[in-house]
Amino acid sequence: MLKRIIVLLLVALVASGAFAEGRQEQQVLHIYTAFDTEEAKLYIEAFEKDTGIKVEYVRMSSGEVLARIEAEAQNPQASVWHAGSNTSHINAASKGLLEPYKPNIDFTLPAQFHAKDWAWTGFYSGAIGFVSNKNFLEEHNVAAPTSWDDLLNPAFKDNVSLAYPYTSGTAYTTWATRIQQLGLDKALDWWAKFDQQSIHNYTKSGTGCIPQVGLGEVAVGIAFSHDILAKGVKQGYPVVMTFPKEGTGYEVGGLSLIKGGPEPELGKKFIEWCLSVKAQNLFQEYNRLPVNPNATVAEGAVTLDKVNLIDYDAVWAGENKDKLVQAWRDRIGK
Amino acid sequence: MAFSSRKRHEIAANLRVIWREPLLFVTIIGIFYFLLTFVAFPIFQVIKTSVTVDGRLNFSNYASLFRATYYFEPFLNSMVLGVVTATVGTIVGFVFAYGITRTPLPFKRFFRLTVTFPIISPPFVVALAAILLFGRAGSLTPILQAFIGKYSIYGLGGLVLVETIAYAPTAFLVLVGILSAIDPALEDAAMDLGAKRLQVFKSVTLPLATPGIASAWLLVFIQSIADFGNPMVISGDYRVLSVQAFLQITGMYDLPRGATLAVLLLIPTLVAFFLQKYWVSRKSYVTVTGKPTSATIRNLEWYIKGPVYALCSAFTLLVFLFYGTVIYGSFQRLWGVDATLTLQNYTQMFEVGKDYIIDSLTLSTVATPITGLLGMFIAYLIIRKKFIGRGLMEFTSMLTFAVPGTVVGIGYILAFNQRSALFPVVLTGTAWIIIILLIFRNMPVGIQSGTAALQQIDPSIEEASTDLGANSGTTFRTITLPMIAPAFFSGLVYSFVKAMTAISAIIFVVSGRWNLITVAILGFVDNSQYAPAAAMSILLIFIVLVALGLIQMVVNRIGRGTRTTTIVR
Repeated sequence: MLKRIIVLLLVALVASGAFAEGRQEQQVLHIYTAFDTEEAKLYIEAFEKDTGIKVEYVRMSSGEVLARIEAEAQNPQASVWHAGSNTSHINAASKGLLEPYKPNIDFTLPAQFHAKDWAWTGFYSGAIGFVSNKNFLEEHNVAAPTSWDDLLNPAFKDNVSLAYPYTSGTAYTTWATRIQQLGLDKALDWWAKFDQQSIHNYTKSGTGCIPQVGLGEVAVGIAFSHDILAKGVKQGYPVVMTFPKEGTGYEVGGLSLIKGGPEPELGKKFIEWCLSVKAQNLFQEYNRLPVNPNATVAEGAVTLDKVNLIDYDAVWAGENKDKLVQAWRDRIGK
Repeated sequence: MAFSSRKRHEIAANLRVIWREPLLFVTIIGIFYFLLTFVAFPIFQVIKTSVTVDGRLNFSNYASLFRATYYFEPFLNSMVLGVVTATVGTIVGFVFAYGITRTPLPFKRFFRLTVTFPIISPPFVVALAAILLFGRAGSLTPILQAFIGKYSIYGLGGLVLVETIAYAPTAFLVLVGILSAIDPALEDAAMDLGAKRLQVFKSVTLPLATPGIASAWLLVFIQSIADFGNPMVISGDYRVLSVQAFLQITGMYDLPRGATLAVLLLIPTLVAFFLQKYWVSRKSYVTVTGKPTSATIRNLEWYIKGPVYALCSAFTLLVFLFYGTVIYGSFQRLWGVDATLTLQNYTQMFEVGKDYIIDSLTLSTVATPITGLLGMFIAYLIIRKKFIGRGLMEFTSMLTFAVPGTVVGIGYILAFNQRSALFPVVLTGTAWIIIILLIFRNMPVGIQSGTAALQQIDPSIEEASTDLGANSGTTFRTITLPMIAPAFFSGLVYSFVKAMTAISAIIFVVSGRWNLITVAILGFVDNSQYAPAAAMSILLIFIVLVALGLIQMVVNRIGRGTRTTTIVR
């Protein structure tokens, strides 16, 4: 009987081996994307159609991507890190996980849109904004917040949500914005008050609060403008977008080549393609702001020149992330 | 002295076995190697990472846990959650088991099915339904608020509710086994001697079932604190260990601290596991004989029947309500805003999720038979063969059951991302890391049902067959195999269901080439895209049900004349 079971086991093993081997492909690019599956598919499929290169991707939040790349440093599994706020890319670059690469482009990219050594390249941008539930505002007869301190309004008691600054690029950008506006100590005081008075809960992903606001689970959320438009307004949720008048921070979506990735040449092609007019035009669908000046901006999208932006220092934010997040956790205790 | 002479004797016997059956010896060594590499090594890696700072032994990670509230608060929260859920879940499970084994409850099959149904559904579906029903914009929220005032489903209360629905089935399955194994003749005897029903319950049924109750409680406790999917969705501001360990790694990119939180999660689960395995189950009064016991179900007094029936019906209603809401939600255009019925979520799902479904199916189909065969084989070795390290083999192979998925997932990344002396091939990114993880994570239940089945078969039955002239092959085929076949197939069913619905460990090892459906669902839930998440969950449940039906058909065909396996066990 022993033999019988061993034979069965062997057969199962061999059969499954054949199964797995049957899926080996020829020219494939592996990437990690921080876009949502649906959105990632739009760009990736267009790239596949344009170049004939097959792309295999995993969708993760930018924090997860960074953790993964770090864990896989000995044996990188993907060649490109697609999307996610540049803060995380900067953090990865400072850990030596990225391979600098200057893409061949026919326009000038402003200095704040790429790393000095081109370890990462920005390919879209968006500002931090507030998303509020219209029904809530009407019912409680309160105006949508237009300043950071409006968030402390008792009308919004226990009714604001955003992501944890340590799990989401969106929330970290918000946190870094407050620090750059107030200085660390005052920012901590402000946030402690904000946390105590207004926060209902923290989500994991930066966009998580938008449908929450849409559904009336909370009254106000903080997220990137393009996400608010694509995942709130466009979906049909009764939400309205506003910006803080004291100024707000913004993100640059990053693209980078992972050091030691399995397909560097295909990765470079992908990065260049992402910056082309054709690819940048696709951003209209999700209201992202293209960096290529020749691309068309989505109708209704808020371009950065219409919002009061602070002089957001993404490099500083990226390099000091661990320290600033630690300070946040020590004070807020979450 | 007597001890050491017995020991010597044992060793001699062992050596004889090696001499007589070299193939067996080689196989045992092989299995030990696999268990060491795929079970012990990853866990070791997690522990090592938690006590290593800059390559040196250092407990500063643990020291910091006690300095910052955000580290030990989740620990306390998890413990509270585990204790409350285990208690409520065990009560629900016991009432159901009692209702089914000891009362003339009508529609027993129906009740049995509904109470076990949550087992086959993916994690966080119950939490998803709870938000759809009782969230701030939930469909039943206005009604409920009229009764109990303002409440929040996010937090301990909501978590206990969803985890009770998710894990009461575990308690039920343990207790229904125990209760049906307690010979009702004992209770009958007490009744005949003039004891009142309640007295019988207190002095006969309950004491006999106590080990079972304790074991059910501990199992639900383990599942509850290791649960990742439900807290991820519904814990709100109530931070628990499993989620915080995950966030620490994926959010802070802090492997050492995340591993430390994982170890903190590991300790109580292991303690509960040891208690369950080596203390509670040893105290079992249940004797399994080949003798059939015929249950005499007496007509019970209303004060027993009433509450039992009421609780069974209420819980069943809750299960229907929850899953019904998920089905209903999957057809809505935009949950909570636009209730127009549409198929859009399903068509969209096939566009976006087709690859996930195919990958999930492929990997589960490969992993399931290996899991089943290996589990049965290890069970056979443990029960029927004597060799040094038998206890160790049993312990190691059962270990993955107690180790939270988060710990296993982190361990697999740490262990197989580079070549090591134990395993010279890099596994990360291949299908194999997922398949192997599924195999070793789901095997314990196969082993458990295998050992249970083999223990019930008195070796004398096999010996009798041999004595009557059958050779060992014939004996195995005609006696042993039909008797363990149901256990084997229920092991298969379990591992397939778990493979299809796995999330907590798997989320760490999915890669570009291989993705899983549960990861996709979590992505939807994460973005509060409830309708597509609901649609995908429904599809996953449907696939699992179809697969269960197929396996059941195969069992019926093979197990002609033998009892068939119950669907979910």
